[in-house]
Amino acid sequence: MSLAIPNGLDNTVERPGERAPLVLGDTTYHDITETVCRVAETKPSKGWVIGFLVAFALFQWLGICIAYLIYTGVGVWGNQSPVFWGWPIVNFVFWVGIGHAGTLISAILFLFRQEWRTSINRAAEAMTIFAVVCAGTFPGIHIGRAWLAFWLAPYPSLNLWMWPQFRSPLLWDVFAVSTYGTVSLLFWYMGMVPDLATFRDRSKNKYRRMAYGILSLGWTGSSRHWMRYEKAYALLAAFAAPLVLSVHTIVSFDFAVSQVPGWHTTIFPPYFVAGAIFSGFAMVLTLMVPARSMLGLEKLITIRHLDNMCKIILATGSIVGLAYGTEFFIAWYGQVPDEQYAFINRAFGPYWWAYWTMVTCNVISPQLFWVKKFRTTPWIIVLITIFVNIGMWFERFVIVITSLSRDYLPSAWAYFTPTWVDFSMLIGSFGLFFTLFLLFCKLMPVINMAETKSTLAKQYHMAHASGDQSAHEEKH
Amino acid sequence: MSDDKNEKKIHGMVAEFTSVDTLLPACRRVRDAGYTKTDAYAPFAVHGIDEALGIKPTVLPWLALGGGLAGTCTALAMQVWMNGIDYPYIISGKPYVLSLPAFIPVAFELTILFASFCTFFGMWALNGLPRFSNPIFTDPRFDRVTDDRFFLYIDSKDKNFDVKGVEKLLADTGSDYINTVVEDDTPTKIPKFLIIGLCILIGASIIPALIVAKMRVTNSDKPRFHIFPDMDYSPARDAQQTTTLFADNRAMRPDVPGTVARGQMPVDLDFLTGIDMETFSQLDSDRAERLVATKLTAIAAEGDAPAASEAPAKSVMDTTPWLDRNPLEITEAVVRQGQTQFNIYCSVCHGMDGRGNGLVNQRAQKIMATAWIPPSSVHQEALYSDQYPDGKLFNTISNGIRKMPGYSAQIKVQDRWAIVAYVRALQQSQNASIDLVPSSQLAKVERQKNKVDKQLKEAAEAERKKEEERAAKAAEK
Repeated sequence: MSLAIPNGLDNTVERPGERAPLVLGDTTYHDITETVCRVAETKPSKGWVIGFLVAFALFQWLGICIAYLIYTGVGVWGNQSPVFWGWPIVNFVFWVGIGHAGTLISAILFLFRQEWRTSINRAAEAMTIFAVVCAGTFPGIHIGRAWLAFWLAPYPSLNLWMWPQFRSPLLWDVFAVSTYGTVSLLFWYMGMVPDLATFRDRSKNKYRRMAYGILSLGWTGSSRHWMRYEKAYALLAAFAAPLVLSVHTIVSFDFAVSQVPGWHTTIFPPYFVAGAIFSGFAMVLTLMVPARSMLGLEKLITIRHLDNMCKIILATGSIVGLAYGTEFFIAWYGQVPDEQYAFINRAFGPYWWAYWTMVTCNVISPQLFWVKKFRTTPWIIVLITIFVNIGMWFERFVIVITSLSRDYLPSAWAYFTPTWVDFSMLIGSFGLFFTLFLLFCKLMPVINMAETKSTLAKQYHMAHASGDQSAHEEKH
Repeated sequence: MSDDKNEKKIHGMVAEFTSVDTLLPACRRVRDAGYTKTDAYAPFAVHGIDEALGIKPTVLPWLALGGGLAGTCTALAMQVWMNGIDYPYIISGKPYVLSLPAFIPVAFELTILFASFCTFFGMWALNGLPRFSNPIFTDPRFDRVTDDRFFLYIDSKDKNFDVKGVEKLLADTGSDYINTVVEDDTPTKIPKFLIIGLCILIGASIIPALIVAKMRVTNSDKPRFHIFPDMDYSPARDAQQTTTLFADNRAMRPDVPGTVARGQMPVDLDFLTGIDMETFSQLDSDRAERLVATKLTAIAAEGDAPAASEAPAKSVMDTTPWLDRNPLEITEAVVRQGQTQFNIYCSVCHGMDGRGNGLVNQRAQKIMATAWIPPSSVHQEALYSDQYPDGKLFNTISNGIRKMPGYSAQIKVQDRWAIVAYVRALQQSQNASIDLVPSSQLAKVERQKNKVDKQLKEAAEAERKKEEERAAKAAEK
């Protein structure tokens, strides 16, 4: 049998002249359906229930904090002169960045015909949507009077008689993030429709059948539909790929278009995008490695998938490290004293602890992935990716806080101190994220069954090509 | 085959397959047999099936292109109209109608957004979805199409359709399961509880909006209902309130020492005009009143900007009782200040030495400017203080004379008087004898004088030599 190491779970061994199988074991189409649907059809496990209750409690705490903030005013945050942006923006940029891996996996890897994406793209896209929800929360409540947030929209206002300012990066942000959220949602939902139809067709319960029936829009699996569907999927992928690059570029404009030393740099767009992919992949791994073993998806999300994602983390982590170095080089080479001071201050000023946390987590920890053993051992992967997430949060912290706390005038310098509301909201946003993610795991197809089946079909086909018909004949 | 096929309308026939490799030949066979109203159903996109079934490519990419272009145009038109035409935002002197670089991000995002919407909704529309009732769902084994089975379907509307023939054709393709698809007779009514539930939900969701709308148009003698404190309750104190914030318990704070309220600036008209106002009001009370009025208006309007352009006729100038003495106390600092100001504002025409040959004059002579009136030398006797009082000189600096414009907008009152003092010093210096120099400085001045004399002598000598050489050369020729 040329297909796979029988029942083995290690497909990372390189066999010259052969592609490593993406689906392991003697898996059939039906096995894939069973594996994925079982997650949603069985009663939730104890671990899921506990996890959900914790996440939901944190989410509620976030809601209470937001209500308190809106009623009282943004003074409950630590935002003070001169650091008016504070943690809300740190959290915003962090969460937007997390979202990027989802679109990257589903769109860019799709365009490059990287089929190993099929079993991870669904969860990654879901992560994107939820991360954008978390991200969108912060600018919404950061504007002071959250109930007037609709003033950002270009609508014919009878109260103001004026229009938004389209030359402001902050308004570009509104368009970029909302477009990103919308297109990601369309992409995610469209990809899910055939799998929701599987859920519909398997459901025994009347209400369940009705709910999934409505969500799957009457999908039949018609070839004519599939043809248009695939075209639409490819088009959306082609639109989402530049979109994902533009979103973090525009987020970086919020900083780069200003004059603040440490912000006013042209390296920001590529550097932010690389960082976003870096943190996004780390978050995908942080979520998928435990989910994979808890939901019993080892045959579909294989060690090779984890290995590949670790390599991307290694690559983007090195880009991020290079960007840190470049920033220092340009500060020295540009000979602007304020800029030079900004960077020296980052590394050796009052926020040295944040800077070196960032460097340790983002530059040093991913380098461990040069070792194959680390790339293929799940618990080490989770550990390193958690470090990467911490590091990326600190990267945003370093950029936002250090630059604002010490700009041109020493008379305007101050040390930023977060309040308990800042801490609560950061933790609460994780609660929101995990609440949504756990609900998704329970209610939606966590793996793209249709696409995984089509890669399996290709595997069968490869078996044909090598003259070994028995591989799939045995199974039917 | 189902028993009740005679009672129900037949929609078509379906055959089941277990793998792609059996489905594809069957599709080709059905296509070659001349059937066009056919379809294959699969749990995933089967590559090669378009050709096997004879499916034409879709127009979807064109829809996406149209959507994208519409998005670009919408975004650019929106931004140009909103920020350039209807409500121009003028920022840093940049063009506001079409500042394209700043409009690119939003244009890009809307292009993607519109194209994605067209792709997404266009795809469903072209597929005829959503469609929740489909006869093919009545087939008992069709549920597995989304799991691991493949189906081939021939519609009864096909012109070649006949039950026996199709059944034989499908059997020949090697399918184990062939069935007729009949009309879907499941009730099509939406369950009542769903409709009622939906209505209640919609109704309930309107209530808050209605309450708000009513509150906005209803007058009430009760205070407004406040969800958010907003700006309605300002923490700022009123003028006569008490507060515990300050030691004196008064909310109103006393003026900062040295504060001058609007219109409360102490006015010294003599100082501002260079005219002895008391005498002037006796001489010509009418004109004095007008002058006072214009001066006070100018002060009320902040600063001593454009003063009264009285431009009095010559006779009037002569009859005005100018101040004889500079009202400033003349100290070295004042004269130095006057020198600085003179060198900045006056020397360009009058020259550093006040002889009226500044750079502007030299240039005017060189280009032979026809409308040019050469600036006066301050050293002519007519401008000495006995003939031309300090007040009059001040007035000339302030309001100008002949071609010279008034400088009241550029030079502060204090500085204008300082210039007057410096001009007097300049006049004195031209005809000064050595006796006027204080004895303490005598040695230094004499040293300087000798040096200058020597230099002058040398210069004259050099000039003479040059002249001689030139004459000699001319003679040689």
